[in-house]
Amino acid sequence: MSDTLPTKPGDKVFRPRRIKYFHLKRVLGIPGLFSAGYGNVGSSIYYALGIVALTALGATPIALGAAGIIYIFNSLAYAEGAAMIPEGGGSASFARHAFNNLVGFIAGWALMLSYIATIAISAYTVPPYLSYFWPVLSEPVVSTLMSIGIIVLLMIVNVMGVKESSRLNIVFIVVDIITQIAIVVLGIVFILRVNPGVLMENMFGEGNWPSTPNFIMGIAIAALCFTGVETVSQLAEETRKPAERIPRAYFLMIIVVLVLFSGISIVALSAMTPQMLGDPVNGWGRDPVAGIAANLPIAELRNIFAPLVAVLAASILLTATNAGLLGISRLTYNLSTHKQFPSIFSRIHKRYRTPYISIILFCVVAMCLLIPGFTRPGFFSDLGALYVFGSLLGFSLAHAAILSLRINQPDVPRPFKMGWNISIKGKEISLVTFFGLIANGGIWIVILITQPFSRWAGIAWMVAGLIIYFLFRIRKKSDTPDWQIEREKEKGL
Amino acid sequence: MPYSKILVPVVGTEVDGEAMKLACRLAKNEKEKEKSKIWAVSVVAIKRALPLDAEIDSEIKRAESVLDRVQSVAEEEEFEIETDVLQAREVGPAIVDEAVERGVSLIVMGIIYKRQFGQFSLGDVVPYVLKNSPCPVILYQQ
Repeated sequence: MSDTLPTKPGDKVFRPRRIKYFHLKRVLGIPGLFSAGYGNVGSSIYYALGIVALTALGATPIALGAAGIIYIFNSLAYAEGAAMIPEGGGSASFARHAFNNLVGFIAGWALMLSYIATIAISAYTVPPYLSYFWPVLSEPVVSTLMSIGIIVLLMIVNVMGVKESSRLNIVFIVVDIITQIAIVVLGIVFILRVNPGVLMENMFGEGNWPSTPNFIMGIAIAALCFTGVETVSQLAEETRKPAERIPRAYFLMIIVVLVLFSGISIVALSAMTPQMLGDPVNGWGRDPVAGIAANLPIAELRNIFAPLVAVLAASILLTATNAGLLGISRLTYNLSTHKQFPSIFSRIHKRYRTPYISIILFCVVAMCLLIPGFTRPGFFSDLGALYVFGSLLGFSLAHAAILSLRINQPDVPRPFKMGWNISIKGKEISLVTFFGLIANGGIWIVILITQPFSRWAGIAWMVAGLIIYFLFRIRKKSDTPDWQIEREKEKGL
Repeated sequence: MPYSKILVPVVGTEVDGEAMKLACRLAKNEKEKEKSKIWAVSVVAIKRALPLDAEIDSEIKRAESVLDRVQSVAEEEEFEIETDVLQAREVGPAIVDEAVERGVSLIVMGIIYKRQFGQFSLGDVVPYVLKNSPCPVILYQQ
């Protein structure tokens, strides 16, 4: 436009960006992926073992084994999904690609609930482990106050965006795995081998075997041990060669997690009765691994392992709390950029360049979840059930999405494809996904029926999310010109 | 020495221009001038609370203006360069990774004199690049 001509009201100046596409540097490898994934899945043994023992009693190792099979299904489904769709968002992304924005949002919102529960439950289990050094931390009021303090501290740290070293994370995880292996080996050598009858008594003895409904419930709660499977797929967009590395990281996690979890659960039941293992007030319900260390028969070993487990468990649980916080802020941003969630939640702080609104808001929600802890220490099993509610809904939708993509988009490149396929009307259906969907959905329904707290809190959370979603979509539609709606439809937004 | 491919990471300090001039002169020394290539990159570090593909407009615009400046410096030296904005979690690994990916024969970095706790400090990016670079690195300090 010539400078001599006056500017008309309809004139627009369009300045195209010189560099239209910036490059994303993807540097994560298998160690980075594994440490992030194991940091989340592996941390759950530090609290979930006690919650499972509270319900499944002597059948705890068997309940964990059954949940472990479902964990394999979930890992394989996520490996296929993340290798096929290497973008952050996990099940929310799979569901958006397979179905539509609404289902994608439901999966993402359920995942958010599980992240909030991770933050709350991980922070809540740090003080019991540290009570080895300061016994006052086992008091409910002090313990809950400290848990809330941990969340406040991490909230400030994450709003300011302090750097996190992935190398340090890997070192932590390696030390953690070595300690867990040492505990399992020492437990087998000094406890189980000396008197194998104790394990049989603690599992099948009178009053130790659960009723059938409790056993089923135990399997459902045991799913808590394996809920961090989402973490690796969330990092898909940061992974170099995701098609190769993500499935490998999942396989490595399956082996390590299943071997260590089964070993720890057997050693735990060799070292103490299931009642002691699950009791959150007078037993080791909130710090089960510390219980194993405290029950080692040789004083020298106890003196080494009890403080080591206390420090390691506290640090791993802190890492898991932080991972939940990072996960939820990234997921919120992901949903906002795909027009599934109000953009205010992805607003970035001018100075610190972090999504401060979502970090603060979801930390406050996690802190509110901890309030019953002041009066009722046993409430953390309710928190565990709420975690399972959110995670399993997300997993079920992930399986459904992978199944739907197999049927509706069979030609999309799948660098990793699950086995056990059957052909129906020319479509290749994976039995792993089918059984995964049935198992996750079934356990979710069990939780819904038997757990009143997670039922009402979970349903309230989902309804609140849907109200936000529909209000946001209606408002967005009325604010957006028709041509833009058409363009967004074409783009699939 | 054969410096046919040169990478110049820029951060927006005054010394960026000088580093670019140095890179252009080193490239010109080559007999086959037309084959020498210079890339200027500006790395936007994304915090872990955000996905890696988060578009922080202010940061990207800043990175672009920094690249614009060094591009004009290169034009004054009668050299055509390529520029790129990278988004990464950490700056050091992104520079090294870019150098490996592009197969560069030299990295030229401009640094300024800065102090941390009363001591001269190179920060954490320069030592990382010096330690992990696949090729020679020239530091230009103003």
